[in-house]
Amino acid sequence: MMPISWKRSRGKLVQWSMDHRWVVLGLVLLVTLAAGSRLPRLRTDTDPKSMLPASAPVRQFNDQVDRWFGLHPDVILVGISSERGVFARDTLARILALSDAITKLPGVIARDVVALPTVNDVSVSDDGVLQTQPILERVPGDDRAARQLEHRVLDNALLVNRLLSKDGKTTAIYVPIEPGANGKVIADRIRVLTATNPGPERYFIAGDPVARDTMGTEMFRQRQVFAPLAALIMCVILYLLFRSGRAVAINLAVAVIAIVWSMGLFSALDVPIHILASMAPIFLIAIATDTVHIYNEFSFRRREASDRREAIRQTMAAVGTPIFLSDLTAIAGFASLAIGPIVPVRVFGLLVAFGTAVVLLMSFTFVPALLAAGRDRPVEAQVPARAASSPWLARLGRACVTWRKTVAVAGMAVMAVSVVGLFRIRMNNNLLAFFKSDSDIRVADRHLTRSLGGTAPLYLVADGGAPDAATRPEFLRGLEALQRHLDKEPVVGKTVSLADVVKRVHRVVSGDDRAQEVVPDSQDAVAQYLLLFSMSARPRDLDSLVDARYQRANLTVQLRSWDAVETRALLDRTSAYLAAHPLPGVELRPAGMAYFNMVWSDQVLVGMREGFIASCILVLVLLVAGYRSLRWGLVSFVPLFFTVLVGYGAIGFLGKDFDMPVAVLSTLSIGLAVDFAFHFVSRFQQRFRETGDLEEAVIWTVARPGRGIVRNALLFSSGFAVMLFAGLTPYITVGVSMIVIMLLSALATLIFLPALVTLFHLQPDRAAGSASLGHLGGTP
Amino acid sequence: MSRTFTFLIAALATLVVRSAATSAQTPSAEDIMRRSNLARYYPGGDMRARVVMRLLSPGGERVREMIMSRVNVGSTGDQRYFIYFNRPPDVRDMVLLVWKYPNRDNDRWLFIPTLKAVRRIAASDKHTSFVGSDFTYEDVSGREPDDDRHQLIREDSAAGRASYVVESIPRDPGSAEFSRTLSWVDKATWLVVREEYYDARKDLARVFTAEELKQVEGIWTATRRRMKNVQSGHETEVTFSEIQYDRKLSPDLFGERSLRSPPAELVR
Repeated sequence: MMPISWKRSRGKLVQWSMDHRWVVLGLVLLVTLAAGSRLPRLRTDTDPKSMLPASAPVRQFNDQVDRWFGLHPDVILVGISSERGVFARDTLARILALSDAITKLPGVIARDVVALPTVNDVSVSDDGVLQTQPILERVPGDDRAARQLEHRVLDNALLVNRLLSKDGKTTAIYVPIEPGANGKVIADRIRVLTATNPGPERYFIAGDPVARDTMGTEMFRQRQVFAPLAALIMCVILYLLFRSGRAVAINLAVAVIAIVWSMGLFSALDVPIHILASMAPIFLIAIATDTVHIYNEFSFRRREASDRREAIRQTMAAVGTPIFLSDLTAIAGFASLAIGPIVPVRVFGLLVAFGTAVVLLMSFTFVPALLAAGRDRPVEAQVPARAASSPWLARLGRACVTWRKTVAVAGMAVMAVSVVGLFRIRMNNNLLAFFKSDSDIRVADRHLTRSLGGTAPLYLVADGGAPDAATRPEFLRGLEALQRHLDKEPVVGKTVSLADVVKRVHRVVSGDDRAQEVVPDSQDAVAQYLLLFSMSARPRDLDSLVDARYQRANLTVQLRSWDAVETRALLDRTSAYLAAHPLPGVELRPAGMAYFNMVWSDQVLVGMREGFIASCILVLVLLVAGYRSLRWGLVSFVPLFFTVLVGYGAIGFLGKDFDMPVAVLSTLSIGLAVDFAFHFVSRFQQRFRETGDLEEAVIWTVARPGRGIVRNALLFSSGFAVMLFAGLTPYITVGVSMIVIMLLSALATLIFLPALVTLFHLQPDRAAGSASLGHLGGTP
Repeated sequence: MSRTFTFLIAALATLVVRSAATSAQTPSAEDIMRRSNLARYYPGGDMRARVVMRLLSPGGERVREMIMSRVNVGSTGDQRYFIYFNRPPDVRDMVLLVWKYPNRDNDRWLFIPTLKAVRRIAASDKHTSFVGSDFTYEDVSGREPDDDRHQLIREDSAAGRASYVVESIPRDPGSAEFSRTLSWVDKATWLVVREEYYDARKDLARVFTAEELKQVEGIWTATRRRMKNVQSGHETEVTFSEIQYDRKLSPDLFGERSLRSPPAELVR
């Protein structure tokens, strides 16, 4: 980095922008309008699957498994519960009507809807005739017939806990939807259907597509409410601080320009905005408040300087370097996220990096031009006692200097404790956890998980290696034993496999003898049973369990939890079981949404974490290079390091999952914590060069520019506090984390830097490199 | 009763209309569908063929081979089907026997060799898949023309054959798995060369095509047929070979006793 030449160029740029202020303002307006016109065409993509590229092995294999078994990745679950039991005849009539109406909804894959009225059952009547009809073809003629039907269903291992709860009070309709269909829209239509024919039943609508699309809709909706609301509150506070509409306007304008330009650019490039990147505007609003430093300094300088343009020049000379360096570091930090393999993380990183670059450009062109374009007013009246340093902060600075050793040791201790918390962090992803506990979808999911076998599908695909391998009795017995093992797992709610079908048919053709619900001894028998089953069921009922060549079987597991860590633990224990009880010649591979969720969690979260660590290292390197001093680089890095460690340590101790919102927000701490450190160090160095008194300079820095830092932190915190009232937990997480990051990094800057500087007698060199940072800056 | 009667009339009408068809007069939609029903499901007094069924799904392929025999019983439209499974070897000797009655539920029996046992199957649902294929039982053995309302939509050509295009809508919507069909009936052979099935949402669900028509012993026969489920991407291709008509098979051969030890004429 070449600070001197950068500095000159910046000075020239500021001068030019003031000279041609109308050109600058006009150009910015034009580009903003052009970019804004692109915004309506911005593509959005709320599918979490898109977080991994289509070429990711887990997506490829999941698609392959869907083809082998005719499965659908997106299935809505409609639960119907009645305290009287669902086999009351009027309830059955409503189930029939609802199931029929659902198959007619657009976007629903009608042929594969699984419900009591659509699933064919194989049973045997008293006179030995095989019965093959839908379980609920029509409403039974009397209550006795209805009870008999209930007993028949409860006696069928394929159906219990899948289509009917053990207590007979809950049934379910599994509604697969077309790829690209909106799960929330279909769920809403189903809700309308359930309301048209009310009875004593309660309806519960759950499933991954509903969660995903409700989430997507809500996220974009809430962003539209809360980002502007946060901006508004920050504007109000800015106004209260400066009593100046211009301060507010500058800040707001820069934020809007950065958002519109970056979003417009990505729209022009036709890059879709994922859930992750939808948070970018919030980041840019935060980063744009950097211009507070400019106005803060300007409002002060204006009172001393002879003319307005001279005041702007002086202001930019004083705050230019920290703004330039902190923005540049933030750009590098965010851009480095683009190195990782996860596409939406890259998009997010580049989007925020570009927006920050716009903020940086505006700081040296648009802001000076706007300030220069303004007319002079009596500034004193607007900014009373702006120069006064805070006596509170001065006392804090003095205390930190006096007790520097204690401060350093305490800081070390806090960090050491945090490291313990760091190891407790649970990387987890659970889409449902994004909703509040009392939200419709969480209530529905809890109910269906309790009464039926859970809502998260996991597939274990057993590959026998050759056609017809799956009909071998030993293969099926292996599956059966594995199922018995899985059924003991608390997280497993229900398992279904080809073995269940074969056992069911064997029992039915053996005179409905319960003792005959076993896998037969000959492979021919299995093949003949499957042919019999295919004559009586819908193709789907068999296809979903075995592939066309009878080579692979699909052991379907319904999980009671969407937690990625639960899936991981289950798969680990299953591997251990298989090591002890191998299935010779059989390869077992997981698939399905629950598995995808787990891989997603591993890859995206680990990817974010690694990207973040890389960003931190990069920032450290930039700090050292920027100051041309290892010591100053390290010291400036302390607030960021402390914030990150304590923040994550707290997450570990509180038992909150390291999920996507947390992962995203951690990157924001780079931008903010470094910003504070830069301002502190450069202002301290300026002061020291003028007074030569280390302690005085430190305490002055805490009291005077420290006030700006505290103000900035409070401004942010209050702005983002509105998010605590959002309906989705990621927004609450954003709000809380923002406040914590702001306050922690402000405190770390104002407490540790004075202590460290005095503890190690860090005197700025008189050497050219360091001097260049503050040389041109005047002192207030 | 009335349906049986209609069938008789239809059968007679066919003979009468056959001569009339040579004239330029366009037959009514009902006539077209009745004649087509006869040409498709009733030709000859009896028939047998080697049937190779390929089930093609996006995930792979499964092949079954069977010997299918059919005999017409009396003049009421009753038929008996004897379907003997030949391949794959593990299902060899399985037999499905269907007694079809145009106006009531069919009777079905299945012989399961591994159990050496015959099981009767109550078949109230004609819309279930025929042995896991994309054809339903109804597609295999026919649907009563009078169950639907027919309308001649236009004349068109399908697979190079001049055809009538008839739209059929079930009189009782609950009686069919489709909301309507469009049938391309070849003017020359009265065989359906293309049929489109629409689901309850009026979306195209399945397409039937007769891909190869051959004259066997003077009777036009669709020797290669395909049913494609356009929604699932699943399809079934059926090839008929070694077709023989009018071997004067006795309906008595198509009885429960033949299931355990099938007579030679029904398995070769």
